[in-house]
Amino acid sequence: MTILTIIIALIVLSFATYYITKINNQVGAYTTVVVTLAALVIFLLEGDKLSGASSIGILRFSVTPLAWFFSIIMLIVYSMVAFFNPYWMKKILHPGAYNMLFLLSLAGTIGVFFAENFIVMFIFWEIVVWASMFIIPFGKSRTASVVYYAMSTFGSFTFLYAIFMLYANYGTFVIKDSLEAAKGDANIAIAAFILMLLAGFIKLGIFPFHIWLPMAHGNAPDTFSPILSGGLVKLGAFLTILITTLLPIHEVTKDQAYIFGVPILIYVLMIFGAISIVVGTLMAIKQDDAKKLLAYSSVANGGYILIGILLYDEMALSGALIHIFGHAIASATAFLTIAAVSYRTGTTKMSELGGMIHKMPITYVVYLMAIISMAGIPPMTGFISKWLLFQALADQGMFFIATTMFFGSIGSFLYVFRPLSVLFLGQLKPEHKTVKEAPIGMLIPMVILSGITLFYGVLPNSLVEYTAKIESALGFDKVIETSALVIQGNNGDLHAPLITGIFAFGFIIALIIFLIAPKSRKVGLMDTYTAGEFLYTPSLYHAGYAYYAPFERLYQKHPNIVALFAALVQKVKDFGKFIRFVFFSRWPGRGVMFIILTMILLMWGEKL
Amino acid sequence: MTITITDFLVAFGVAFCGWALQTSVSGITRKTVARMQKRYGPKWYQNFRDIFKLLNKRAITHGWVYDFGVIMALAGIIGTAMFTPVANIVVFKGYDNFFVFVYLFAVGMLGMAMSASGSGNPLASIGVMRALTQMVGYEVPFMVIVLALIHVRDTSSISALVDIQQASGWNLVVMPIGTIVGFICLMGMLGKKPFDTYIAPAELASGPMVEYGGKQLGMLMIMHEIATFVEISLFVNLFLGGGSNILEFLVKYFIVYTLASYVSNVLGRFKIDQVVTFYYKIPILLALIQAGMLVIFGWGV
Repeated sequence: MTILTIIIALIVLSFATYYITKINNQVGAYTTVVVTLAALVIFLLEGDKLSGASSIGILRFSVTPLAWFFSIIMLIVYSMVAFFNPYWMKKILHPGAYNMLFLLSLAGTIGVFFAENFIVMFIFWEIVVWASMFIIPFGKSRTASVVYYAMSTFGSFTFLYAIFMLYANYGTFVIKDSLEAAKGDANIAIAAFILMLLAGFIKLGIFPFHIWLPMAHGNAPDTFSPILSGGLVKLGAFLTILITTLLPIHEVTKDQAYIFGVPILIYVLMIFGAISIVVGTLMAIKQDDAKKLLAYSSVANGGYILIGILLYDEMALSGALIHIFGHAIASATAFLTIAAVSYRTGTTKMSELGGMIHKMPITYVVYLMAIISMAGIPPMTGFISKWLLFQALADQGMFFIATTMFFGSIGSFLYVFRPLSVLFLGQLKPEHKTVKEAPIGMLIPMVILSGITLFYGVLPNSLVEYTAKIESALGFDKVIETSALVIQGNNGDLHAPLITGIFAFGFIIALIIFLIAPKSRKVGLMDTYTAGEFLYTPSLYHAGYAYYAPFERLYQKHPNIVALFAALVQKVKDFGKFIRFVFFSRWPGRGVMFIILTMILLMWGEKL
Repeated sequence: MTITITDFLVAFGVAFCGWALQTSVSGITRKTVARMQKRYGPKWYQNFRDIFKLLNKRAITHGWVYDFGVIMALAGIIGTAMFTPVANIVVFKGYDNFFVFVYLFAVGMLGMAMSASGSGNPLASIGVMRALTQMVGYEVPFMVIVLALIHVRDTSSISALVDIQQASGWNLVVMPIGTIVGFICLMGMLGKKPFDTYIAPAELASGPMVEYGGKQLGMLMIMHEIATFVEISLFVNLFLGGGSNILEFLVKYFIVYTLASYVSNVLGRFKIDQVVTFYYKIPILLALIQAGMLVIFGWGV
C-alpha cells in the first residue's frame, strides 16, 4: 500500500464517518476505532517498507524511518484514544463533525510526516491546524480555540514565508534539495531555519508560545486532550528534527562563537527550551485542574525534547526521540485516566475529588504507571530517555541547561504526584460513594498504553536500535550503540533489564517480609489519628486545596506572559482604530482623498 | 559481563549488611548524642529491637495501596542498595550509574509517599508535600555538582569514579566547594535538622509516618536505615574516595554519619519555604561556581 492511498482513504473515510454518525452516532464512533486501528495495523505490518511511489501532481511522498517512527506514535495515540469516542458521543455538541475532524486530523499528521516537498507538508500542516481548531470549542471554551488558532497562524505564516524564501532562492520545494542548497548561504539558511523553527516552537509549546497549550488542552473535549498532548504537539518536534538535521544547523552556524561546545545561536535556542522547562514545571505545580496541570507538563517536556534535538549528537537525538515516544504515550495515558474520572464524576478539578482509588483502582494503577514514566523513574520508558539526555548534557558539560533540566525533572515529581495524592488518594467524598470503575471499553486502551510504557522501559533496546536507524538515515556519522541488553552511553552503560530485575528482586524480599509478619486489620479511612478530635466530614478531612501552598507562595508574584500578549493585542487594536480613524471616517472627503492618493501612487507605478 | 544469580545474592548481602551497619551506627549515635545531652541513652541495638518488635505486632491497614506502597518503598530502596559499591565489593561494575541511583531511589520515595497519602490522613499528605518540596531543594545542587564531576571524569559509574579517586586523590581535594554543597544536600536527603521539616514531630505528628504502626512501620524503619546507608555511601564514594578496603570505608562512613548527626543536634528547624529559599540561594550558587571551575577552567582536575 502506498502512503497516498492511505491518506486518501483516511480523508474519504473521515467524510463517510460524518454521514454514518448522522445516522447512528455509536456506529460512527466505532468507525473511528476501526479505521485508526486498521491504519495502525497496516503501518506495523508493512514497516518502513511502505511505498511512497504513487503521486498526484505535486502530492508526492517519501518514506523515511523518521516519518514512520512518528506515524506509529501518532497512530498508537489516535487508535487508543478512539476507544473513548463512543462514550463521549452524547456529551459532544456535534458528534458527526467531531468524528470527521478526528480522522481528518490523523490524515493531516500522516501527510505532514511523509511529505516530500514543503508545499504538501504545509497543506497537511494546515489541515491538522484547522481540524483541531474546530474540535477544541466542542469542549468548554471558545477563547481557547481562538488563541490556539492565532498562535498557529503566526507559525504558519513564518513557515510559509520560509518556504517561499527557499523557493525564490533555489527554485525547489523538495525538502531535501532546498535545505541541501541552502547550506551554501549561511544567512538564508539561518533565516529559513529560524522562521520554520517558530512554527515548530509554537506547536511544541516552547516559551513564550506555551500559553495556548494549557488553554487548548484544558478546555478541549476530554477525548481530544490526549491527542493534542500526545500527538499534535509532537508535530512541532518532527519539524524541528527535520530542519535541524537535514540542514544541518550546526554546520551552517559553525563560524559563530561557541559556548559549551555549541554555536551561540543553538545555545540561545536551547535557553528557550530551558525556560520552557522551568515555566512549565512551576506553572504545573500550582494548577488545580488536572488537565491544565498535564498541559503545563507537556510544556516542560517540550523543553526537554527541544534541548535533546538541538544538542545534535547521537545520544541526545536518540534521547529526544525516545522522549517523544515515551512522553506521547505516558501523557496520553494520563489524560485518558483523567478523562475516565471526568466521565464518571463530571469534573477534572482536583480539589473537588478525592479517594477515587477506592472506586477506580485500575484507572489508578494506569495513572501511576503513566506518571512513573513522566517523572523519569525506572522501569518505564521515561527513564531511558532522561538517562540518555543527561548523558549527553554531562558529556557537553552544559551545567546551566542541566540545572534547569534537573529542576524540571525533580519538579515533575511534585506535579505528577498532586493528582495522585489529591484526586486518587485521600478521603473519598460522600457524593462519589456510588461512582463505579471506568467501563471496560476505556480500560482496555489505558492498560495497553501502560503495557507499552512498561515494555519499552524494561527492554528499550529495540527502540534504541530504531533511533539508531533514524540517525543513520538522517546522515549521522556516528549512531547510538546498543548490544542485546545494554545501551552504551558516552560515559556509562545502562542495563535496563538489570534495573528491573533488581527492583523485582527487592520487591520479592519486601513481599516476603510483609507476608511473614502478622496480618493487619482493615480500618476505614476516617479511622485515623486526629489528635483526639472527633471528625465526621470526610471532605473536610482531605488535604486537597492548594496542595503546594508553601512552595507556590515563593513565586506567586511571578510576571505573567499572558499580560504581555494582552498588551500586544491592545496595540494591534489601537492600530486598527487608528487606521479606521484615518481611512474610514464619517467625513467622506477624507476617504475619497485617500482613494485618489492610492490611485495616483498605483498609476505612478514602479518608477516611485 | 554476564550477570548470574550469585551476583544478585551478593548484592543482596550488601544491602542486608548495609542495613545492619546503619542500624548499629545510628544506635551508637543515639547513645553518644544522649551522653552529650547528659542523658543515659538507649542501648546501641535499640533500633534492632524496635524493628523486630514492630514486625511482630498486629497493626491496622487503610486499604491495599497503603500496604502496596510500603512494599514498593522497601523494594526500591533495597534495589538501590544492591547497586551500591562498598569499598572493593562492586557487584554490578559499570552499571552502578549515578542517574540510576537518583531515580531508582525515587521509586522507594514514591512508594512511601503513595502509601502515606493513601492512609487518608491529611497530616500525612502535608508531610509528603513537604518532603517533595524539600527534594526540589536539595537534589538540584547535588546533581549539578555530580554532572560537572561526570563531565571531567568521563564516567557516570560510581565505582569508576571511586577508582579514579583512589588513583589521583579524593574529590574533597579536587572540588572542596562541591564537597561542602554535597554535605549540605546530604543533610537534606537524610532529613536531619535543619531540614527535618517534613517529619517535624511536634507540628505534623511525624508527617508521612503518622498513621503507621506494626509491620508497616517496621518495614519503613528498615527502609529508612537502608536509605540512609545508600545516601551516606554515595557521599563517601563520590567525595571521599570510597575505600580501598572495607575498614577504610567503614571509618569514613562512620565519620560522615556522626558528623551529620552532631551538626543536626545543634541546629533548629527551617520552615519548608525557608528550606527551598536556602537551597536556591547558597548551595546552588556554590554548585554553579564549582561546576564552572571544573568545566570551564578545569581547576583542580
